[in-house]
Amino acid sequence: MNGCPVNDTIRVLEESIESSVFKDPRIRRIGEEILELMKDVAWGRAGEDHIPAIKDLAKTIVEDSTDENAGQAGQNVIHALENHEEVFTSHVQTHNCTTGDCVRLAPAPCQMACPSGIDVPTYVALIGMGRDAEAIEVIRKDNPFPWICGLVCTRPCEFMCVRGRIDTPISIKHLKAFAAEKALSDREYKNPEKAQDKNKKVCVIGAGPGGMSAAYFLALKGYQVTVFEAQPVAGGMMMLGIPRYRLPREVIDREVAMIEELGVEFRFNTRFGKDITFDQLKSQGFEAFFLGIGAHKAFDLNIPGEKNFSQVLEAIDFLRKVALGERKLPGKRVVVIGGGNVAIDAARTSLRLGSKEVIIAYRRTRHEMPADIEEVEQAEEEGIRFSFLTIPIEIVGENDNLKGLKCLRADLVAKEGSDRKIPVPMLGSDFIMEADAVISAIGQRVDHMELKSISDLKWSRRTTVNVDMASMQTARPEVFAAGDAVTGPATVVEAIGGGKRAAEAIDRYLSGIPQPEMPPVPVRRKRVDWLEVPAATKMVLKRPEMPLLNIERRRTTFQQAELGYSENQVREEARRCLRCDVCLRCGKCVEICRDKMGIDALELGYLDFDHPVKTDFRVTEEKCILCGACAANCPNDAVCIEDRKGERILDMCGTILNRQKLLYCDSCGAVIGPARYMDYVKNRLDSLPPRTEKEKICAACARKKSAKLLSI
Amino acid sequence: MVIFRKGQRVVIFQKSEDESWEDYMDSYIGSHGIITDPDTTKNDPDDLVEVSVDGKGTHRFPQDCLKLLND
Repeated sequence: MNGCPVNDTIRVLEESIESSVFKDPRIRRIGEEILELMKDVAWGRAGEDHIPAIKDLAKTIVEDSTDENAGQAGQNVIHALENHEEVFTSHVQTHNCTTGDCVRLAPAPCQMACPSGIDVPTYVALIGMGRDAEAIEVIRKDNPFPWICGLVCTRPCEFMCVRGRIDTPISIKHLKAFAAEKALSDREYKNPEKAQDKNKKVCVIGAGPGGMSAAYFLALKGYQVTVFEAQPVAGGMMMLGIPRYRLPREVIDREVAMIEELGVEFRFNTRFGKDITFDQLKSQGFEAFFLGIGAHKAFDLNIPGEKNFSQVLEAIDFLRKVALGERKLPGKRVVVIGGGNVAIDAARTSLRLGSKEVIIAYRRTRHEMPADIEEVEQAEEEGIRFSFLTIPIEIVGENDNLKGLKCLRADLVAKEGSDRKIPVPMLGSDFIMEADAVISAIGQRVDHMELKSISDLKWSRRTTVNVDMASMQTARPEVFAAGDAVTGPATVVEAIGGGKRAAEAIDRYLSGIPQPEMPPVPVRRKRVDWLEVPAATKMVLKRPEMPLLNIERRRTTFQQAELGYSENQVREEARRCLRCDVCLRCGKCVEICRDKMGIDALELGYLDFDHPVKTDFRVTEEKCILCGACAANCPNDAVCIEDRKGERILDMCGTILNRQKLLYCDSCGAVIGPARYMDYVKNRLDSLPPRTEKEKICAACARKKSAKLLSI
Repeated sequence: MVIFRKGQRVVIFQKSEDESWEDYMDSYIGSHGIITDPDTTKNDPDDLVEVSVDGKGTHRFPQDCLKLLND
């Protein structure tokens, strides 16, 4: 057995039944019962009683069967259950098959891509049905911050979205934001049920996305969680690093309040290592620790004058002060150094505080800028200017009166033996960019000093906390870490995923269960119905543009820049989803239609990950004969054919690929299929009497008629 | 070595000697994926970049194990 033990056991059992291994009718019936129960396990519809019931039935076969082979087959089932108990239980409890062999339980690419493992197709379908609160319930099984992520996630899911191979990915992020807002507005945004109290205390250091996610999942598991935070508010970088025009404070506050509702205690203005030490916390009875201190320390520019002027600011410190309410103009003419998202945030924030001119100085070109393209575009619309190929060399001024930033022009030159171009200063090209404030945004790192009270903690050469990425456990077994402290400055959703993973590992640690060797695979939460959409509609629906606040307000206030989709846009956008949780893109339908039936009616160019070609669902209606071979061979019931209201309908995960009128037998009234299918059959069965224009008869009546003709 | 950009298709073509490479990552060699979060601050060739690996989830990798896939 190489793949999933559940799937393998089903296959062996099916072979045993088909090859009449079970000769005794009673034993055969028990074998069939085991098969049915096994399929329930593989399809995610089994309950807690399934595994014991299978074991009992298999024991009955072993004990009651007089045939050696039948007894061995029963024994094989028992062995599989005993040797792979955890896998079988995981199928039942988490509806998850890590190998993907149990096709009903295989996560879609979008879900696999999500660092927090959200069941994307399920919640997108629920949003499409208008069931927003249920969608949020599904999201919050894996991520406590659907609204926050709906506004600021870097959306790896959309990069892997299969719809993106046809035209543009589903706007997963914005759909999530809409559903969260709607559910909160309808007062239907609820916490999942907590497990029974475990009477164990866990300490979380840092109220950022990683820390609060760990706290959320640990609280759900029944632990008493206390979060220590150096700042006066919760949110970490979400609150202090991301400006309010991208993520309003109310959004963070509402979702943090949901975590507090679970009984998580927050202690603000308490800096770990200064106000409270590791030993003090241990003496308070905390049995496990999660470190989510982030990466808040800015890198120095290392140029002359950097420390001489109060108008030289660190972006992260500047953004933090503004986030906490300070509204001081940094300067009339501001130069921001850097090319990442923090540089863009600092520039746009300066503009909103009233700076007349804001320039971003970046040492490479626009093409190499690591900031998100949408952020760069929005900054340009607001009037931020860019100075590319610009290397700062000195801050110039007199008596704490900053005059400007001395820079050199640069040229991008390929390094020998590498495609990577590096900026090389051009001699004699120095110039001064006039400025009365310079903001440095060249990156952050973890502050080692905060964690010095924890002995034996190991650090990576990137000055991040060293952990086992499968469990987020540090060199000290009772200490776990995630977020920017582990990855360096990264994304909110990555920190959430890390916090969730650490919570699982802390639970294992406190329960005495060994840690996993690989990171967990996301869990399917449901298999909801699909939305029915005609092929033409599926092709023409386009991803909506995000409406933005008018430019004057964007330049002057911290109001949310993205206004959100309308309800109609959201429901329509959800209908574009291909439901890759159901269609696994195995391509069997295409092969059968093209190679076996010779029809080639399925133009599904998106099936290939590396080389997608043209897709057009509308082509099917032109060629398809509605034979049903594709549906019959689909391993996951993604392609279905059914007769409904006088029509035969072929649909793939809700996309109506073809619908044709049904013909009925003139003789007995039975359904004989659509005309196109009858013509296909007629061409292959010349022995049947010709179908006249006036007479349509079914195969049974045709045979009777032929028999009569032959007997004359 | 190239600068990786968001949305680029890559292959994990070799094991990395970097300390961040963990044993379980051996099973990712040969897998294809998409860059979802490159180093968003400095374009540092030493930084770990986030890749969504087809069928295997999203992880951070050292850049020396990644190669761009031609379209």
